[in-house]
Amino acid sequence: MKGTHSLLILLVLTILLAGAALFIGPVSNPSWAIIQGIRFPRVLLAIIVGAGLAGAGAVLQGVLRNPLADPFILGTSSAAAAGVVLAAVLGFQHYSMLYFMSIGFALASIFVVYRIAQIDGRAPIQTIILAGVIVSLFFNAAVFLFFSIFYRESFTMLFYLLGTLTEGSWTLIGISASIITLGLGLTWFFSRELNMLTQGETTAFHLGVDVETAKKLLFVAASTLVAASVAVAGMIGFVGLIVPHMMRMIVGPDHRLLIPASALGGAIFLILADALARTIMPPLEIPVGALTALLGSPYFVYLLRTRQNAGDF
Amino acid sequence: MSTLLLKQVSFHYQGGFALQDIDLSLPEKSFLALIGPNGSGKTTLLQLMSGLLQAKSGQVRLQDRPLNTLTRRELARQIAVIASDQYFAFPFPVVEIVAMGRFPYLGRLQKLTDSDRQIVEESLQRTEIGHLRDRPISQLSSGERQRVLLARAIAQSPAILILDEPNTHLDIHHQIEVFRLLQHLNQEHSMTVVVVLHDLTAASTFCRTVALLSEGKLVKTGTPQEVITTETIRSVYRADIEVHPSPMGGFPQISYR
Repeated sequence: MKGTHSLLILLVLTILLAGAALFIGPVSNPSWAIIQGIRFPRVLLAIIVGAGLAGAGAVLQGVLRNPLADPFILGTSSAAAAGVVLAAVLGFQHYSMLYFMSIGFALASIFVVYRIAQIDGRAPIQTIILAGVIVSLFFNAAVFLFFSIFYRESFTMLFYLLGTLTEGSWTLIGISASIITLGLGLTWFFSRELNMLTQGETTAFHLGVDVETAKKLLFVAASTLVAASVAVAGMIGFVGLIVPHMMRMIVGPDHRLLIPASALGGAIFLILADALARTIMPPLEIPVGALTALLGSPYFVYLLRTRQNAGDF
Repeated sequence: MSTLLLKQVSFHYQGGFALQDIDLSLPEKSFLALIGPNGSGKTTLLQLMSGLLQAKSGQVRLQDRPLNTLTRRELARQIAVIASDQYFAFPFPVVEIVAMGRFPYLGRLQKLTDSDRQIVEESLQRTEIGHLRDRPISQLSSGERQRVLLARAIAQSPAILILDEPNTHLDIHHQIEVFRLLQHLNQEHSMTVVVVLHDLTAASTFCRTVALLSEGKLVKTGTPQEVITTETIRSVYRADIEVHPSPMGGFPQISYR
């Protein structure tokens, strides 16, 4: 009951902050047009992208059995971005191609990371970081390759890659929102299996879990969540690390609560981060992805050191 | 009728190691120790018995059904396994870990019923960890963790309980406790117990049947007195030891030279 209570509080907080965020920005007396046309889609984006990235983080941490996993650190975001950029430079007009390539690249990258990082049934942080660096380097290089061959006006694309919530297309926002809602629903449906998987794949097998199916499904769901977020907002890092970690302290490690809590927490986190990014250096706006990375990296180091001291890997 | 029956079971890894022609029958209420030198195939045999590995030839039958025809859930209601290395990445409270044992009985999205909760409570009591119920597993000592895993296995209400070296990280006090509990489950609750053991004295003290593996073959099965003899152990383990009857009741015990 305590858990459901926390979820309710998080939900109310999300709605209140979303409402407040509509009135925060470089223009202090915004017209209705600004609120409706610019800020509203932006806050909506913050909610869906935050929910998608934080939900994906919680899932990946569970399957890899490591609370320090994150789509950005694992290189999943880079892979999804490479898919988006490739779809753009190849001139695919239809949205389905954009999402198809983004999801495909993300899924491939998770598969590679899993194969590289896993030792004796779990992924220790050293190999996770290693695999993530390798995968990120590869896909970042691919992005620059696509740029140098095809692209002449790469500045907007570069800004996108840094992570922003300025996407104005309602179609893209709508598609991503639907995919992320579905993805979160699917992971929640398998959250008990995810709890079992955190005990180890062999143990999960002996407890009656169809391990291969559950794992595949959760990986597909996680990469879909990441890809749908990256497709509209670029690479916003560390949301998937910071938020599930904080939510675990509030609702505990049970994924039946942790996944919805992370989704709401991610929304709150990104609404706040974006409000900060819009107002910290007026009239300039900094990419929210740069901001979360600046905040997230030290947080990661902090978690790494405290867990290391506790001998807890 | 035997609970678990292995008929001419063979298995080989791609690397080359193989288990050959294993015949083993576990009558109801058996208490079996699998012993043998490192690399003799104990863990592989355990994994064949628990359904984690599939025999390349021969058959494993559980209560007269081929093991590989059971669904994952059916299997988990019949056989509970405690692997030797356990790692807890997340601070689940003890009671939630134990409740995971009820997973094979629950529908998707179904909550624990009252009888599930009662079984979880009984499992906590039986392993004497009721006072730890709300503590995060990550804060417990290895002896306490072992008891939590036992409680989870008991909550599965299995017919067969399989353990891979349950005593490795435990001091003698906790070792004796674990074996007493296993004996209790075996005798009072008719659970068949299979344990892989390196400690031969423990095997002969607590287990009714001992099966000795060497280089992928079952070389001897019988009572501790029949299997653990100076001659057999010396030749299979290539160790300079002497077996003599324990003053505590005549079962064989090992002295190193």
